[in-house]
Parts: sequence; C-alpha cells; structure tokens
Amino acid sequence: MMFSLRRVNAIFQKDYKEFSRNMAVSSVIFMPPILAAIYGRMGIDSIESHYLIINMTFAMITAYVQCCLIAEEKEKNTLRGLMLSPATTGEILSGKSLLSFLLTGVVIVISAFLSEYKPENITVVAIAIILSSFFYIGLGTLLGLFAKSVMEASVLVIPAMILFSFGSFITKLAVQYPILKVANYLPNIQLIELATEVENGAHFGDVLSQLAGIIIWVMIIWLLTVVTYRKRMVD
Amino acid sequence: MGNIIEVKSLEKIFANKSAIESVDFTVKKGEIFGFLGPSGSGKTTTIKILTGQLNPTSGMAKVFGEPVSKLKNPEYRQRFGVLTDNSGLYSRLSIYDNLKLYCKLYDAPLSKIDEVLAIVNLNEAKLKKVSTLSKGMMQRVTLARALIHEPELLFLDEPTSALDPTNSLHIHEGLRALNAKGTTIFLTTHDMQEADTLCDRIAFLNRGKIQLLDTPNKLKQSYTNSTMTVELTSGEKVTLPTGADGAHELFAYMKAEEIVTIHSNEPTLGEVFVQVTGRKLA
Ligand SMILES: Nc1ncnc2c1ncn2[C@@H]1O[C@H](COP(=O)(O)OP(=O)(O)O)[C@@H](O)[C@H]1O
Ligand SMILES: [Mg+2]
Repeated sequence: MMFSLRRVNAIFQKDYKEFSRNMAVSSVIFMPPILAAIYGRMGIDSIESHYLIINMTFAMITAYVQCCLIAEEKEKNTLRGLMLSPATTGEILSGKSLLSFLLTGVVIVISAFLSEYKPENITVVAIAIILSSFFYIGLGTLLGLFAKSVMEASVLVIPAMILFSFGSFITKLAVQYPILKVANYLPNIQLIELATEVENGAHFGDVLSQLAGIIIWVMIIWLLTVVTYRKRMVD
Repeated sequence: MGNIIEVKSLEKIFANKSAIESVDFTVKKGEIFGFLGPSGSGKTTTIKILTGQLNPTSGMAKVFGEPVSKLKNPEYRQRFGVLTDNSGLYSRLSIYDNLKLYCKLYDAPLSKIDEVLAIVNLNEAKLKKVSTLSKGMMQRVTLARALIHEPELLFLDEPTSALDPTNSLHIHEGLRALNAKGTTIFLTTHDMQEADTLCDRIAFLNRGKIQLLDTPNKLKQSYTNSTMTVELTSGEKVTLPTGADGAHELFAYMKAEEIVTIHSNEPTLGEVFVQVTGRKLA
C-alpha cells in the first residue's frame, strides 16, 4: 500500500490553518518560551530547570494541543469524514501529528535558546527529545480519542500533565516512599537522566538504556492509540 | 445490469432495541433507490451499515459485490461518497478550504471544487467561513463534498432535509444529471414528494422493516381506487369510475361541454404510505 505524503500534507495544512485561527488553544505555545526567558534573565541554569521547561512543552503543547486537535475532529464529526476517505490510518494519524510535532520542535529550540541550555552532545539530546515527542503525541492522540469534546479533552489531559511535568518531584518523593520508584521508568524521568549523563560527558553508547526506555514507551502508547483509533472507525 | 448493493435479512439491535429487522433489498447499478420512512424508522442505521460505519447484528450486506467489512479498503472508499447527518465540516475554514482537503484526500483535481459547488448552487459563497453559514448551506457543502471524487455510488441521508424548496429542486436537478452520467444513488428521505420525483424505486421503511418496494407509479397504482373526479360548469363535482362504466357519462358531459376539469384520483405516495403502515411520514 502506498503512503501518500500528499494526503498527510493536506491534513497538516488544514490543521495549521485551523490552529492559527483558534487563539484559545494556540496561545499555549507562548508559555514555555516566557518561562524560559524568565529563567534566562534570572540566570537559572540547571538541568532540572531546563527540563522543567521541556517537560512543560511536552505536556502543554505536544500532548495538550494534540489532544485538542483530535478531540475537535470528534466533536465536530469531521474525524468520520477522514476515516471514510481513502486515506489510511497511517496517513491520517501522521497528518494529524505533524503540527504538534513541528510546534514542539520550534518551541523547544526557542526556549532552549532563551534559557541558554546548550547540551554537551546536541545530537544525542535531540534524538531523545524527538523520541519523547513521539510519546507525547501518542498520548495526546489517545486521550483525544477518548474525549467527546475539546472541553472533555482539556480535563482528561490534566492528570497526564501533572504526572509528566512534575515527574522529577516524584523521584524525590521516591526516596521516602520506595513504591514510587516505578516512576523512575517514566519517559520524562528517563529523558532527564539521559540529559544529566550527557552533561557529565556521556556519549551515544552510554545512554542506550534510557533511549530504549523511551522507545518502549513510544511503542506502547502508539499500539494503544492505533487500536483505539481502529475501534473508533465503527460506532 | 448488476446489483451494486445487496442486502439480505439485515438486522441491527442497539442494546435490546432493534433499529432494523430482516431487511432485504437490492439496488441496481445506475438507479436512484429511495428509502422512505418517518424519523426513527432505521434509515440512517441502514446507511451506516452500508458504508462500514456500523457493524450489523446479523444478516448480509454487500456493496460492489463485497461484504461491507471490506469497505475499509481504500480502493473501495474511493468508489463511494456519503452524506449523513453526522457529516461535519471544519468551521474555522472557508467552504473552499474544506473542499480542498477532500480533493487531496481523494486525489481529485482542484478544478472539481467549482464544479461541485455549481451543483449545490454555492459558487458565490465559496470563500465564506463555514461558521457563518446557515444550516441549509452547510448541508449543501457536505453534499458537494460527497460528490468531489465522482463516486460511482452515492449514499445520501436526507440530503435536502434542511433546504428550502428552490434549493431542493436545484439539487434534485443536479442529482438527476449525475445519475444520467451513471452514478447510482441510494437516498433516504421522509419527503414523499422527493422520493416520488427522484427515485426509480422506493422502499417504504416503517419501524425497521421494509413494508413495500416498487416504482413510484406501481406503488400509487396498486393503491388507487380507480376513479376520477369531474368538475362541471355548474360547480358540481362528480366521481366516475375510470373503466368502461364511466365512459358513457363522461362522454355525455363532454358532448354537453359541461366539463371544467378532470382529475384522476390516484393517491399520493404519502397517502399510500399511511394506508400501508397506518403511520404518517415526517
Ligand atoms: N447509537 C444508537 N444507540 C441506540 N439506539 C439507536 C442508535 N442509533 C439509532 N438508534 C435507534 O434506532 C432507531 C432507528 O434510528 P435511525 O436509523 O437513526 O432512524 P432514521 O434515520 O430513520 O430517523 C431509532 O429508534 C433510534 O432511536
Ligand atoms: Mg436519520
């Protein structure tokens, strides 16, 4: 079966036009750069603070925007039209993910610039961030498929936001409550671990376990997402 | 000519409540087939099953000679177009941008946009944002969208329910023209006039069951009482049998030049529907 970039691009362009006219949602993209600018001015330059901004981007832009984009297609009954077209599941989900993916990239780059985050090994960090964004896009899509409206989506996404943006607090709590150690396997914690190692001079080969951890999360979330999507094709 | 849709003992039960039961019919390639029934009779359910949006509880439904479960295949999706009451539009985009997306999804040239907008009489409004349109205009946009890839089979679920008579007539013309070019149309409606003027064959649907299925003329003929009403210059109205029995009397009135009008007393489809089902449409 052919994968049609033309269809993917058509869905992306449609999303971009709609998104740029939807200030209620699109204004969230300014939050991480604002926080980053404040940190930059205050001279806060720790791995925790940089990743607070990056994880905030993943939660508020990648997952939240994606969740709204999908939930709105459901609320307005437009998702059914896409599903009934000859576009494949892969084409539709790729097209629907492209905008969140690009927004995430742009916001993280601008924020890193403002907060003066310069990773020791930019390639490794970039790969880890891109992989992480796949996870959050999958998460947003999944939640969006469960929500019936944008309103519901905004509520559903809150627990995910808390879990993933404040994940690093959980690791600190885990020192007291060992049961919370599982949290160490969360993709956001894996990402911070990886970034810390990189600052300590680690190379690609030294962070394979963290990368593998993130990849497993990506696979699990997208498996769930595709299965849920397929179920939504019939009432 | 082959059958493009075949349905046998089709049944759909929603949580113990049956929406359609033992429905049988076939739609021939090239015809306009109408499903006429009041609201809640199972029209939308049938269209959803036939377009793969809903799984039947039991029975068989084939489209293009294949079971409907095969419709997930993109090749088949390219061959049919759907308009249902849950077809949505992107409200922040213009009519044009909405249709452009569908042109690309279906690999149709962008020149099709003007063509389909002409059918639904919306060329003037094509740059208008969907959120500013009336309900009727939105319905016409969704119809245009269903036509954009020139499907061989069109499923239209109450395509004119929100339209004024002028626009309905315009769309009927457009549908007839498409049909003349070979498009098969499966249409549901609760408007008996629409069914009468547009459809080659009509199925009466009532409470999930097909109660009658025939051409509009046959349906009306089989329920006619074979009389005519003659209005005379005196103002009097006389009812005569249409057969030989009435010939003498009619001839006499004609000779005396007393006739103002003659009407055959065939029932309308709506009246036939009431006779058959004991229920009113709409
Ligand atoms: N998703 C559903 N869940 C439960 N009942 C349904 C559902 N969809 C339709 N029905 C019921 O099935 C019957 C037929 O509905 P429908 O096919 O929409 O009728 P129509 O399109 O002719 O108005 C109705 O009684 C309706 O209430
Ligand atoms: Mg209906």
